Amino acid sequence: MSEEEILEGLKKSVIDFDEDAVKEYAQRAIDEGVDPQKAIFDGLAAGMEVVGDLFQKGEYFVPEVLMCADALYAGLDILKPHVKVDEKTRVKGQVVIGTVEGDVHDIGKNIVKLMFDIAGFTVHDLGKDVPLDRFVEEQLKTDSDIVALSAMMTTTMTGMKKVIEKIREKNPKVKIMIGGAPVTEETAKAYGADATAKDATNALSEAIKMVSSLREMQK
Amino acid sequence: MDSRERVLRTLEGEAVDRPPCFSGMGNVTVHGLKKAGVRFAEAHGDAKKMAAAAASTYKLFGFECAVAPFDLGLEAEALGCELNFYDDGSERILYPTVKTKILKFGEELNVPEGLAERGRVPMVKEAIGLLKDDIGDEVAVGSYVLGPYTLAGQVMDLNDLLKNSFKKPDEVERILRSLSTAIVTIAAELKEAGADYITVREMGAPADVISPRMFSSMVLGPLKETIKGIDGPVILHICGNTNPIVELMVEAGASAIAVDQKNDVAATREKLGPTAVILGNIDPYNTLVKGTPDEVKAAVKGVIQSGVNGVAPGCDIWPEAPAENMEALVKATEGYEPN
Ligand code: B12
Repeated sequence: MSEEEILEGLKKSVIDFDEDAVKEYAQRAIDEGVDPQKAIFDGLAAGMEVVGDLFQKGEYFVPEVLMCADALYAGLDILKPHVKVDEKTRVKGQVVIGTVEGDVHDIGKNIVKLMFDIAGFTVHDLGKDVPLDRFVEEQLKTDSDIVALSAMMTTTMTGMKKVIEKIREKNPKVKIMIGGAPVTEETAKAYGADATAKDATNALSEAIKMVSSLREMQK
Repeated sequence: MDSRERVLRTLEGEAVDRPPCFSGMGNVTVHGLKKAGVRFAEAHGDAKKMAAAAASTYKLFGFECAVAPFDLGLEAEALGCELNFYDDGSERILYPTVKTKILKFGEELNVPEGLAERGRVPMVKEAIGLLKDDIGDEVAVGSYVLGPYTLAGQVMDLNDLLKNSFKKPDEVERILRSLSTAIVTIAAELKEAGADYITVREMGAPADVISPRMFSSMVLGPLKETIKGIDGPVILHICGNTNPIVELMVEAGASAIAVDQKNDVAATREKLGPTAVILGNIDPYNTLVKGTPDEVKAAVKGVIQSGVNGVAPGCDIWPEAPAENMEALVKATEGYEPN
């Protein structure tokens, strides 16, 4: 099987949420010497990108996306141990993510988390209904580059402002992004967040921008 | 025609003098809480406080109903889940949530005996009774239960539920059917306590979460059973994107359907024809909280022109809605002919 066929197979099997097929192609990739990093990004992640589009267009729904994610993780489990650790490419960045206190809406947050995972971020997921101080603690503990806060209600949204203030106090360099249905550009500005995004794909591109600007600053 | 009659006749599809302004869901405001001397966090666990809070929107603004409870945890709690009420003694408004789940996918769901006596069911019944005594002659008293799919998401891990909805739809449907019996039992208690109408909230199943196909093949059956099991007028409410499923919502068999601001009601009216009873769909946050009284008035005009039979907020009224907006909502509705 050619490299191209393997990459295409990985991609398609993620889109079709066919876990078994993903595993087979991932094993094939290893056996036939395809660069595992390439298999992850041009196979698995490329498939997930299409899934994101299908979700946005209303052709896929949340259960479909979650199953595609399972298929993707099954492939990652096989490929990841073979990725050569190269300091430059590895440390893409670390993200602390969670839905703020008083809010159990986590469907959207989980999709954002998934995109970060795929892109190679190390994600610390605090779950939902997360006490505000937990974000500050986890950021300090992990020295994460980004804190991503989700809220789906206008009352819990105000909790994000408090988290932002607390984090800024302790560690002004951290990048903070906020999101969820009630969050607008204006909210992000008013709360002092660095960015917001309407959906998971844009959340990811914002995160990538944030990390590169942090790396610039460190140089 | 008084408010109670207007609401109940609307739900039965009978002629009224004007559209009612009411809701099947929570509608307390910070103004009402203040006047009643009740903190939001304590309103969930005390019958007198719950009743005082629930009656306050009618008393202050003439909103044409009183609805209790205010959270989505009543059934889950009766089934054995633990809730978090966030009562730290402050006035902050955080809605109760389910803290511990009781069901793992693959395990049998045990519906405990004596649901009527469990959790806060007796307390909510008492609150409904108090509401009936207080204002029951003037306005309709409502209560609500969850739909089976939404309740499933409360009692088990939601990701498991969503994935298995795809992988093992038959098993999920079996869970939904046993949850349906629990819901029907609790709804009967709420009715017995005096609720004039019951809203079934299936907010876990809009088309921004599951596909219309899945709604039809898996959610609809158990939902029909639930609605059929409840006596008297029933409203089926789903928030989020509902345009693709409004026909299925009608098929579920409720007296009326209620939708939120994401629904294009003019299109829905056209699809469903003149006899369907549609309630909606004022945006509870962008209009009622953030808008001006003039914007509220314009929104009321808008939903009536689109063809609603009752002017209702899309979901729970957000407690922080300014008093002027609440007044404008009721006042504006009073000026229209029924659809
Ligand atoms: C499903 C749902 C529920 C489920 C939640 C299950 C779960 N575990 O998530 C249940 C039934 C439990 C529920 C409960 C309640 N709900 Co609810 N719920 C919804 C509903 C219908 C869909 C939300 C959803 O999952 N959408 C699909 C996902 C994929 O979209 P998303 O969340 O917007 O996420 C995307 C973006 O926002 C963005 N994003 C999300 N997070 C982040 C984070 C970052 C950093 C970035 C950059 C981007 C980003 O990317 C995501 C992917 O594209 C909405 C209505 C709606 N359509 O929004 C109401 C809604 C959110 N609920 C509402 C309410 C009122 C409640 C309750 C308070 C009701 C009550 N009386 O108790 C309770 C809340 C209890 C609590 N304390 O939390 C209101 C909130 C109103 C407001 N103005 O604040 C809404 C808007 C309904 C309405 N029309 O009014 N709900």
